[in-house]
Amino acid sequence: MTRTDGGFAGKVLRVDLSTGKTSTQDTREKYGAVLGGTGLGYQVLWEEVPPGTGPFDLGNKLIFATGVLAGTSVPCNGRTAITTIFPSCWPKALVGSGHMGGQFAAKLKYAGYDAVIVEGRAERPVWLFIRDGRVELRDASRLWGSGIHRATLEISQEMGADCCVAAIGQAGEKLAPLATVVNSLSHSAGGVGGVMGAKNLKAIGVQGSGGLRIAGDKEQWERLIKFHLSILGANNQHVVPSFPTPQSEYYNPGSRWVGQPGKRWGAADPPVEITGSIHDMNRISYRTNSAAFFLGEQAWKHTVRGNGCTACPIRCHTTLKVPAMATKYGTREIAQGTCIALNFGQFFFPTLPGGPKGQAALEACMLGMDMADDMGIWSNYGQIQRDFIKLAKDGVFKAKLGSAEYASIPWDKWRAGDPAFLQDLIPRIGERRGELGLVLSEGSGGPFGHWGISEETWEADHGTLYWKMGHPKHHANEDDGQCGVIINTQYNRDAQCHSHTNFVRNGLPLAEQKRLAGELWGSPDSVDSPGHYTRMNKHKAQRARWALVRKELHDCLGVCNWMGPWVASPLKERGYRGDNSLESRLYSLATGHTLDREGLDRVGMRVFTLHRALTMRDMGVLDMRAKHDLVPRWVYEDSSGAQPFTPGTIRMDRDDMALAMEMFYETMGWDKATGAPTGETYDRLGLAEVGKGMAARQLVPETRHEP
Amino acid sequence: MSPEKKARLTEAAAQVVLQASREGRLTTQEDVLEALAAGGSFHQTEGQADADDIRQTPTEEAAAAALAGVLAGHPGIASFQGLSGETLYHAPDLLSRTFARILDRKDSPLLLMAEEIRTNSRDYPRPVPVELFEAPPFDLAPEEIGHVLQAMATDPDYQDISFTTAPTGAVYLFSTLHLERGYAAFLALRAESLSANP
Repeated sequence: MTRTDGGFAGKVLRVDLSTGKTSTQDTREKYGAVLGGTGLGYQVLWEEVPPGTGPFDLGNKLIFATGVLAGTSVPCNGRTAITTIFPSCWPKALVGSGHMGGQFAAKLKYAGYDAVIVEGRAERPVWLFIRDGRVELRDASRLWGSGIHRATLEISQEMGADCCVAAIGQAGEKLAPLATVVNSLSHSAGGVGGVMGAKNLKAIGVQGSGGLRIAGDKEQWERLIKFHLSILGANNQHVVPSFPTPQSEYYNPGSRWVGQPGKRWGAADPPVEITGSIHDMNRISYRTNSAAFFLGEQAWKHTVRGNGCTACPIRCHTTLKVPAMATKYGTREIAQGTCIALNFGQFFFPTLPGGPKGQAALEACMLGMDMADDMGIWSNYGQIQRDFIKLAKDGVFKAKLGSAEYASIPWDKWRAGDPAFLQDLIPRIGERRGELGLVLSEGSGGPFGHWGISEETWEADHGTLYWKMGHPKHHANEDDGQCGVIINTQYNRDAQCHSHTNFVRNGLPLAEQKRLAGELWGSPDSVDSPGHYTRMNKHKAQRARWALVRKELHDCLGVCNWMGPWVASPLKERGYRGDNSLESRLYSLATGHTLDREGLDRVGMRVFTLHRALTMRDMGVLDMRAKHDLVPRWVYEDSSGAQPFTPGTIRMDRDDMALAMEMFYETMGWDKATGAPTGETYDRLGLAEVGKGMAARQLVPETRHEP
Repeated sequence: MSPEKKARLTEAAAQVVLQASREGRLTTQEDVLEALAAGGSFHQTEGQADADDIRQTPTEEAAAAALAGVLAGHPGIASFQGLSGETLYHAPDLLSRTFARILDRKDSPLLLMAEEIRTNSRDYPRPVPVELFEAPPFDLAPEEIGHVLQAMATDPDYQDISFTTAPTGAVYLFSTLHLERGYAAFLALRAESLSANP
């Protein structure tokens, strides 16, 4: 391990759409301290985008950034972070990032680039052509107005079959805050599509013929990759199957490990039957079937295959074929997706004939996936659907929409749970048509801003799952008590953090989880059984910090935080341990620059603290505790009257959460009173210049001057 | 028995258990003895005497004790007393204790369901959906599950087995020995909502 030039592609591509000029920078020289991904994006925004810049302003920038491990053979490495001033952050847009998997990250690195910084605005619609060192802006006039499917197809025909296209649909073109960028059919980054639209950038097509160098010993690398594969479970790193198997000590009916011998991918031609031991490494890809998890047993017969990202054996984007789609709706028979995107269609309905795992739900999901991924609409992690239902049930649409528009909506189909309703609704949103389309496409901030609905109404209603700043909770107290709440206070959009929830949902019995937790975070008391929470302690604060730092690290390294971290495993012989140092071991071998776990976590802290500084700078706020790290009212209530810390409630205690925030701030090196990073913390993390900038704005606790 | 003979015999006996575990079967002492006697490998050369050492013992109890002795020393083999009172062997790496217990209880549906419900309530903790018992390896017909639950309701040995119905209508079973009713209802609701909380 003598050379230190592994992992990185080496260059960052900068494209000025206003002038058409392109240039490159050395990745390690300029951005090495923040690794890549979100870290690179935050640094660009800090250095180049002034406070007050709006998401669709000329001065906003859009940073597509992969990481050191993207494009290598590391499992689950296909991530690209797209960082910008995030449009759906309400009432003021602040830093945020959308994240997509697929093949884009690897292709970009094989072309020689770790990131693409997009700035300025093209005079007319263009798409960005990248083929290794050849970079061109090409006319996209003929593609403007078309969906992502057509744009991807046409660009692919022009470039060749081995390209990857990341494109926006009509929603992005029309500057919808809830617009996505989509690559590889279904891999979407939420919230950032409108920024592309504002820049008149329809798509990026990338083709790379190069490779990546692994700096470390190749045999060591291969061994480590095989080890990593050996500790993989199924989707979300659920490490036990959902059913008893001869080889398993444990099982969990709630596990996303649903594949087992005897199940069939029934719509494959010919059908594929799962055989052998599902615990074998060569059977990892059969463990996950997202459609079967979300839509039940019926999904197996419609399953074509598992699709997914570069080098990821999990294949969480299940491809489904449902012939009824062509005959009943005149749409494509095939669609693919996972998690919230898979459920895009069915979540618009309060009820569906046959329930959430019936045929209508399946058809609604097929329609939703196909249309949302074509028009490029983001669900805001399911919030657009919850907002729609609440606005309809509360009579807000009837009161606020014009009578002609209201009457034009086929409410009878919605009430009947007819999936065909989506063929009317989704284009309204994607095209921002009428007042309904305009308002819903802005996210929760839409009804707040346009119709004078108070944010407090949403915060008080547990049914909305609304958290703050226009976005919902994302694995909060329903999964993980104080840790979940802390994590959900930190970002300017939904938290997208899975480090904590992948552990508490991993399927192991509580005693095993507590044993592992004791080793990882210093005490078995750092984890509770869901809904049976104990009071805050310092080990929970450490776990919350660990979860956030690992999430940020994954976003910087190009690996998937929907899958990682890998601190638990299916391996009984390892006592179900995973490896808490896996990321640093992979990083060290890939780059040739040795960093231990603490060292790499320190980089994660640096990046996360930079996100904090950016948020504070753009808000102009020192007291983040009072102004930013907010918790909705529903977290502190329980309609049954159950008291906090009693079994069977996720109700939290205000005083305990106040203590939790203080403990968290302390473990982060932030001021307990304000939640602001201290000058010493900026210095310690290698952010001295950022600290000086914050001090100059009186946004560092020591330099605060009260009026 | 010489140490060498004992080692060979242990390995031969272990192979019988390993093969059965690989095929998803439990092994009784009789299964092992029969396999050793019938198997080719121990009727060849020096191995024959090893098998005879056991077969020539005067009583079945003594043979069983000798077999237990040789298998007890094998690190990959475990045993437990089954419902019938027999000692049952399995290789935990191929057939876990959890699965082995399920196999042992398959002929006693009341005990099968009750112990599974109790274990889940105690260890995870969680109630289990009633449909769990329709699927492999339980493979109970819905009618049989209904009969089991009716029988449990009147049997004093199973008064801890209870159920809660989630708002979706799904029925979850739990043991009041290990889960409070309110918490069981919460966990059932949580389980039902996991697919709506991606």
